[in-house]
Amino acid sequence: MRAAGIRGLVIAYWLGVVLVAIVVRYPDTFHDANETARANASLDLSDRELGGGNSVVPDQGLMIEARGRIPLDGTFAVAVGERQEGWTDLTATFAETYARYYLLPRRAAPNAPWILCFACDRAAFPEAEAVWEGEDGLAILSLPR
Amino acid sequence: MTIRAITGLVALNVGFAVMGASFLWAVRGFARWSDALRLGGLGYLLGVAAFGTVWTQFLVLGLPFGGWGVILTLVGGTVAACLVGVRLGRSRPRGFAGLGPTSTASLLVTASGVALVGLLLEAFFRSARLQSLQAFDAWAFWVPKAKAIYFFGGLDEQVFTTSAGPTYPPLVPIVDAAAFHAMGSADTVTFHLQFWFLVTGAVVAIAGCLYRHAPAWALWPSILLVLVVPRFGERLMTPQADVLVDVLFVLGALLLALSLRDWRGWRLAAVAVLFAGATLTKREGLLYVGLALVVAFAASWSRKRVAWPALASVAAVVIAAAVPWRLWYRSHDIAGEAPPSLGAGAAFERALDSLRLSWNVLFDTSLWSVVPFVLVIALAIGLAWGDRRLAAFFAVLTILVFFGGAWVTYSYRDLPITENEALNPIVRYTGAIVVLAAAAMPLLVASAWTGNRERET
Repeated sequence: MRAAGIRGLVIAYWLGVVLVAIVVRYPDTFHDANETARANASLDLSDRELGGGNSVVPDQGLMIEARGRIPLDGTFAVAVGERQEGWTDLTATFAETYARYYLLPRRAAPNAPWILCFACDRAAFPEAEAVWEGEDGLAILSLPR
Repeated sequence: MTIRAITGLVALNVGFAVMGASFLWAVRGFARWSDALRLGGLGYLLGVAAFGTVWTQFLVLGLPFGGWGVILTLVGGTVAACLVGVRLGRSRPRGFAGLGPTSTASLLVTASGVALVGLLLEAFFRSARLQSLQAFDAWAFWVPKAKAIYFFGGLDEQVFTTSAGPTYPPLVPIVDAAAFHAMGSADTVTFHLQFWFLVTGAVVAIAGCLYRHAPAWALWPSILLVLVVPRFGERLMTPQADVLVDVLFVLGALLLALSLRDWRGWRLAAVAVLFAGATLTKREGLLYVGLALVVAFAASWSRKRVAWPALASVAAVVIAAAVPWRLWYRSHDIAGEAPPSLGAGAAFERALDSLRLSWNVLFDTSLWSVVPFVLVIALAIGLAWGDRRLAAFFAVLTILVFFGGAWVTYSYRDLPITENEALNPIVRYTGAIVVLAAAAMPLLVASAWTGNRERET
């Protein structure tokens, strides 16, 4: 009888702790999900489309223009130069990783006819023509075919 | 972001559920439609695991992945399962009796639990529907791999060998690629809903599997608590493999635990599919599944004549499913998943630091709220007053998974001792213990509450 009482008390304690934790956490979780939904709905199409790229690529135009100009079966290279004022800590390190994701099925290749230039040394591509130029040293270069 | 994309996702996930439910009907049978409904979540995850496992083998063999391939796999899998069911003499389910709770109090608790979980899942749906792809690992390698399967129809050598995490198995990218086909484009916004379906399926699966084994007052609070811990919530829909590997492992472990009571063959057949899926979802899956099977072998010592051959069959299926992918990446000169020398030779201080880190992460209330504490209490309740074999199974499994996390930090010597998720995977790894708590706690408490009386399955 006494053992059954202790068992009941311990189970009641377990249930009490669980219920109190739910009472504390549930409103916050529900509120956070609603806030995220609201924030997501207020994003413009480009912000939503680029997602994590907004923290990597200083000018959204670069990726959007690259998608429009490089054919689906085309290839591109990423050339990164000196860090510029508008860049984030992620730009130089992860620009190529992000471009590989965002521009698929376009592939990255070392001698590609399209170059995503992040303040790159343009003298290294003497025949290249800048088909798009943005801020913070960003450009899309095209090599003659 | 269109209704067409969402409709496509719904159709795909219904396809997973129908294929998995057909498999369940073939191996178990459904006396009533209410049984099919109750086990619908389990059927859904079986469908996801089976689809991903089969397509991993197909892709390793070089078969092209496409929209028609997805449809044919789902239809073919469903037809094959139904044929097996007919061959085994399964009868058509009849009626809906037996789903409702047994008392008014139980009905009220169930209704409250379903309402609160449903409200939360609805909020998660809205937050996922227009979610941009933010998570680093997602755009660095998970989604590029999915896009590669979608655009190039296979394990594209460039993407799969040069992206980060080249040894990570392809089940999640395969499911993502199927979602892209279902949506009609590589829509990396709407596809977050695919992960909402996985989370919803997991909730329904755990609730359905435990429905007849635990009272509503133990079941729904446990599930709700795990859903609202700070580290989870809407982050459950992050398009990576962490949640799916946890879910497949936990459901398999739950079915193994229930099998300890009666060794019903259908449960082990389901475990084999779930565990095969887990090993092809994430590298940790191999460790979780290995630990669960070792514990199951030990827990069934007294019935080894019946249990061990069945468990050995499960292990054989899992190994057969896991090996081809490992052969594929090794044939592409990618080093293996195991740490160098399995960690032997590292400093003793590092072992202590790794253990301390795992402990701190597990009992960090800013990550997991009180889940680890109430799990410990539930294990103690089960060991003291409940089904001791069941409690011992979950206790040993939890401890081994905990030590497994410490071993990961200890043995990969380039991992810094830190909770920073960008540098050490211990936080994500520990999520498996927390998800395990959602399934284990109701069973443990229920077994003590009912005085270790075995319930009818």
